[in-house]
Amino acid sequence: MEEWQYKPAQDLGIGEMERLRSVKRESGLAGFLARKTWWFWVGTILRLAERIQVNGAERLPAAPPFLVVANHASHLDVLVLATALPRRLRDAVFPLAAGDTFFETPPMAAFAAGMMNALPMWRKNCGRHAIDALRHRLVSEPCGYILFPEGTRSRSGQMSGFRPGVGMLVSGTAVPVVPCYLRGTFAALPTPARWPRSSHIALNIGEPCEFRNVPNEKNGWRIIADKLEQEVRRLGEVGAVKSG
Amino acid sequence: MDAATKARLWGWNTALDAAFVRWFLAGLAAVLVIVPLLILLLQATGKSNAERQRELWARYRSWLIFIPLMIGPVLLGAGWTVAAVCVMSILCYREFARATGLFRHRSISLLVVLGIFALTFAIADHWYGFFVAITPLMIACIAAVAIFDDQPKGYIQRVALGIFAFLLFGVCFGHLGYFANDGNYRQMLIWLVVCVELNDIFAYIVGKTLGRKKLAPNTSPNKTVAGAVGAAVLTTLVAAGLGKMVFSGTEVDTPFRLVLLGVILSFSGQLGDLALSSIKRDLGIKDWAATFPGHGGLLDRFNSLLFAAPAVLHYVGYLHGIGLDQVPRIITRG
Repeated sequence: MEEWQYKPAQDLGIGEMERLRSVKRESGLAGFLARKTWWFWVGTILRLAERIQVNGAERLPAAPPFLVVANHASHLDVLVLATALPRRLRDAVFPLAAGDTFFETPPMAAFAAGMMNALPMWRKNCGRHAIDALRHRLVSEPCGYILFPEGTRSRSGQMSGFRPGVGMLVSGTAVPVVPCYLRGTFAALPTPARWPRSSHIALNIGEPCEFRNVPNEKNGWRIIADKLEQEVRRLGEVGAVKSG
Repeated sequence: MDAATKARLWGWNTALDAAFVRWFLAGLAAVLVIVPLLILLLQATGKSNAERQRELWARYRSWLIFIPLMIGPVLLGAGWTVAAVCVMSILCYREFARATGLFRHRSISLLVVLGIFALTFAIADHWYGFFVAITPLMIACIAAVAIFDDQPKGYIQRVALGIFAFLLFGVCFGHLGYFANDGNYRQMLIWLVVCVELNDIFAYIVGKTLGRKKLAPNTSPNKTVAGAVGAAVLTTLVAAGLGKMVFSGTEVDTPFRLVLLGVILSFSGQLGDLALSSIKRDLGIKDWAATFPGHGGLLDRFNSLLFAAPAVLHYVGYLHGIGLDQVPRIITRG
């Protein structure tokens, strides 16, 4: 008889706390149900509290793998992006969140990992190991990531330069990278604020880019980061012109 | 709900009524005090190194967590016992599902969890007919749900794993909860768990001292034939001896039947352990999870109970009956 193929969970054998902060974390039924509940409520509240307009949703890929990148000015950004994704992509997406902010304490890590399905990206010393694991996971699972290449939330509302880390994830692969521009999240929930205000939020989704011929090294990463920054800025201007 | 049923389900003031339960708690307290002293003694006499000490303390700390989690619900009441068995079943299923990869099939996982809830309801309701009916119905449901992935390649594997998991961690484990439907449940459950744990310990000790020929070297490299036989003999003696207190005055209380009960308990306990070791070897993993330092996962700790619970329940049920003096269909017939 032919042998069965078993694929144990990648995070088997890791202690609970370490598992929440691992890039190899795989969630099961409980995590799935928690996320469904979370995104249902977040989506409902966002739609009621804010006026959200999504342009270009038809440009999103049909299935994983994919990488969504956007400008970052508010904690609302990832919420708006995730709820704008169709269900098929949202079920497979992992927001990449700053390790030192979202995975430092056990309760925060449990929330980020359990509810948002976030994976940690350590800003200070992100080991090559972790980036390779993220890269491998993106292509082989396959799944999707949401990443903010500026590396931090803008304090002024203006977009700053994209860091090369985004290139490390997709250089040399055929993973479609979807540039997005978010307008209005800074007005709704700027960095120091604790409660969101009602505002008009627009999400402009651009054409996906591919970087399969870009070499997987420092120059290649810089090329990717610059190209994506250019695309996102362009999407930012498109909306601004429209609203006069 | 009549007063007797209410007292069985939720009454904790009768917890210490049976002498066996009082003796057990006293013995347990003594062991929990003596073991750290022994560990310290090992350290003082220099017979153990730092790593060994760390491992021993980790194991002891894990036991300090297990024991109240297992004994607490049994003492508090049948209702708590059934709920605790439900939670344990789901957590054990989760470990199995993560180790085999079954957890990625969320619809099958959801069905198994719902099946475990249904079993829990049947047990709480004291409705044996429904408890039995759930098995074929769940087999049908799992086989049906797996069709809708529309991926026939791998169909047998995911259906078989789902059914296997449900039968092991839902039905077999659920028998542990069904004990709670008997008035004498506290003594029986404590006796069962103590004897099964001692069975493991006896097998280990006899194996270490007398063991030469391996039992199943590919499956469980540390187990020896001597350990298995030694455990069978010692556990039978202890189980029959303690069983005399627990089952006194019932149809089980004859020397032959008590010895047979001990033999059944010992063999089913060891076979449960070996069966789960076989599964681990097939998967290529060492421990089911890293939840408990020094022990591994829940399944590493409770594998011996899997076959022992139904074997003992049906043996006692056949001779004496389980819960025959208790009101059935508590919820569904009021």
